[in-house]
Amino acid sequence: MRTGNSVQKSLEFLKNTFQTYYASNKVKLPERFGRREFAFVLFGGKGMVRHLGFDKSELLQEFLSERGAQHAYYSSAYYQYPTAPKMVEKNWLGAELIFDLDSDHLPNAEQMGYVESLLAVKKEFIKLIDDFLLGDFGFKEKYMELYFSGGRGYHCHVKDPAILDLDSNERREIVDYITGRDLQDSLIFHEQATGRKRYGGHSFTSGKSLKMPTPDQDGWKGRISRGIIDLVYEIKKSDNPQKRLEEYGVSVRDAERLVAELSEERMRRIQDGMLDQSKTIRKFFLNSALRKTAVALTAGETDEPVTCDVKRLIRLPSSLHGKTGLKVVKINIDELKEFNPLRDAVVLPEDPVRIALQKSVNIQMNNQHFHLENSDQEVPSYLAVFLIGRKQAILL
Amino acid sequence: MRELTILAKYPFLQDTRQFIKENGPSIDELLYNPPYERARIIGIERLDNALKHRDVGSRSLASESDCIMEILSYPLARMVAVCIGDPYFKKRYALGEASHMYKQLLNESTSFLLSIAKELDVTVQYNTEKNTIKIFFKNYLRNAPTRYKEWKIVNRGIRNGFLSVSHKDLARILLESLRKRINKELVTRKCDSNVYDLFSSDIKRFQYTLATQQKKMEATPVGKISVEKLPPCMTEVLAAIQSGENVPHMGRFSLVAFLSSLKLSTAEILKLFSTAPDYQEDKTKYQVEHITGASSSTEYKCPGCEKMRTYGICPVDKMDDLCKKIRHPLSYYNNKWKQEKQKP
Ligand code: SF4
Repeated sequence: MRTGNSVQKSLEFLKNTFQTYYASNKVKLPERFGRREFAFVLFGGKGMVRHLGFDKSELLQEFLSERGAQHAYYSSAYYQYPTAPKMVEKNWLGAELIFDLDSDHLPNAEQMGYVESLLAVKKEFIKLIDDFLLGDFGFKEKYMELYFSGGRGYHCHVKDPAILDLDSNERREIVDYITGRDLQDSLIFHEQATGRKRYGGHSFTSGKSLKMPTPDQDGWKGRISRGIIDLVYEIKKSDNPQKRLEEYGVSVRDAERLVAELSEERMRRIQDGMLDQSKTIRKFFLNSALRKTAVALTAGETDEPVTCDVKRLIRLPSSLHGKTGLKVVKINIDELKEFNPLRDAVVLPEDPVRIALQKSVNIQMNNQHFHLENSDQEVPSYLAVFLIGRKQAILL
Repeated sequence: MRELTILAKYPFLQDTRQFIKENGPSIDELLYNPPYERARIIGIERLDNALKHRDVGSRSLASESDCIMEILSYPLARMVAVCIGDPYFKKRYALGEASHMYKQLLNESTSFLLSIAKELDVTVQYNTEKNTIKIFFKNYLRNAPTRYKEWKIVNRGIRNGFLSVSHKDLARILLESLRKRINKELVTRKCDSNVYDLFSSDIKRFQYTLATQQKKMEATPVGKISVEKLPPCMTEVLAAIQSGENVPHMGRFSLVAFLSSLKLSTAEILKLFSTAPDYQEDKTKYQVEHITGASSSTEYKCPGCEKMRTYGICPVDKMDDLCKKIRHPLSYYNNKWKQEKQKP
């Protein structure tokens, strides 16, 4: 059977492939690279080698091809002394704003396969880029760099000089905005009197209706409004609106009532900003619209700041991801929708390699279909690295 | 050039500086000549008011000489503040000048407000037809009290990098911007020995007041807790709140949860917060009760050191040896008690 020996051999194979790759392929260096901290996970090494600095690009290239780094990172921050062993001594000068969307952060990531989960993250990523960064915050395209992470997600680096010196609280505020955290529903919905009656010289409000924002309003108001309108149409158009609502978590009774009430006239009123619905339904609309339009940046409960850490390490663009062999490739904004990681980030050679599979694999990579039984197989190097890296195969 | 009264009301303006340069006395004249005695007195008054009332105060600006004395009192007050040396005092004074400006700005025209924004490097767009003010998000992030929910960007409109704000909101943002600017300037200046000698009795008086205040704060146990046993993170947040800095929500949250674990009552916690410049009793009370569980079903717990670090509330450069051994601010406090008991 497979021994520790073949595990060792597999690791050697990955290392050699990476070394050969780095020997003939240049890594693109980040701006101000002399002021950055670099860090690596080496094949077979324990933990991370940190606090390295390179003042010449050849030195980094040399390091990568000699050591064959499994994972390569650099600091989004730039420092006066990037190689000082203690963070305080480095003297922070600034940092790009980094958004790191990983499929681990999606609510139902476990049930999805690799390709499917990457598609789901991309949807979130597009929302982040188009609606929030370009739209609401108005960042210029020339200051935004988009990358496939090489693993299970996408990164966006914002390099606008205006944001380089933001501290972590200010960054946190941006993240809160994008995730819709602390959105107050009283600011979204408010009651409005629809008519007045007069009794004995006094005037009273008669009848109230719930006003919601209109789709053209700025920020979250417009976003929630558009979300609700989309939702209403989605429900209305579906074959079984009631069931659809129940899937969204609305109680049977409320769903029944809502469907009955969703007349053409009602729908028009909703578009004009009138939402005359009960409290539960209103809550449902708000929460669903929020979930639909906010960016899922954080994993449910854990709420780890994604972008707020001003000293975080980020995967080095154009390096290889040690668990997939895929390249951290830059993506043009207008090519994002079409981007396919298993086609566009494959850079390792075709040379055939023999591997043993743990289970059967069905995958499309580099424009080829692979239907592989769980037995010994001969596959191109890039696929071998991908499968070995993801612990689905070992080298023979 | 603006009118003299405007220069007197807003002595931090570039125009005011220019005016002094062109028409004002030399430094020596300002310090020693009898006609400027009134400016010197007002200078000290600014400082006294800032310390006591968080506002440098208004004086009559009826005559030209009133205005000139007011204008000259500002650089004097700053020079003396630098010589007093205490960082807390500098913050206090900067806040006093900034809150004073805020109150006056509320009654000014929008176009005047916009000119002040420009002077403070706050980027705004004004739409004359719709009468809407928009501010660049970076300036907003830097200066708006986003620890309050209604100030969070999520509850405001933003498009293309600009947020809509009201006249009053903008004034509030300018307050913070001016406070930061003055404080930064005071921190970098050095004390002039002539100023020190001339005002030495006032300077000593201020220093004495500050020292007694400090002692009182340290000596009065906050409820039942003793302040010198607080971990560095909590000391920092507490000091920042008391001197009126914009402490992010998470910092306030951690402090309240921490104090509440030490069995401090809501009233005792509120007392600690009451010196903040924009302290609002009901709002703060509501927040505190929410965290301590008095008004909500959950009692929130103070986060551990690691989480504190991710949120940037742990002052990494101020961590001491005990910090390195513990993983929760509460164990820091308890450890301090134990250490004391072990002492002979
Ligand atoms: S290590 Fe813990 S106790 Fe010490 S300052 Fe940081 S957060 Fe506070």
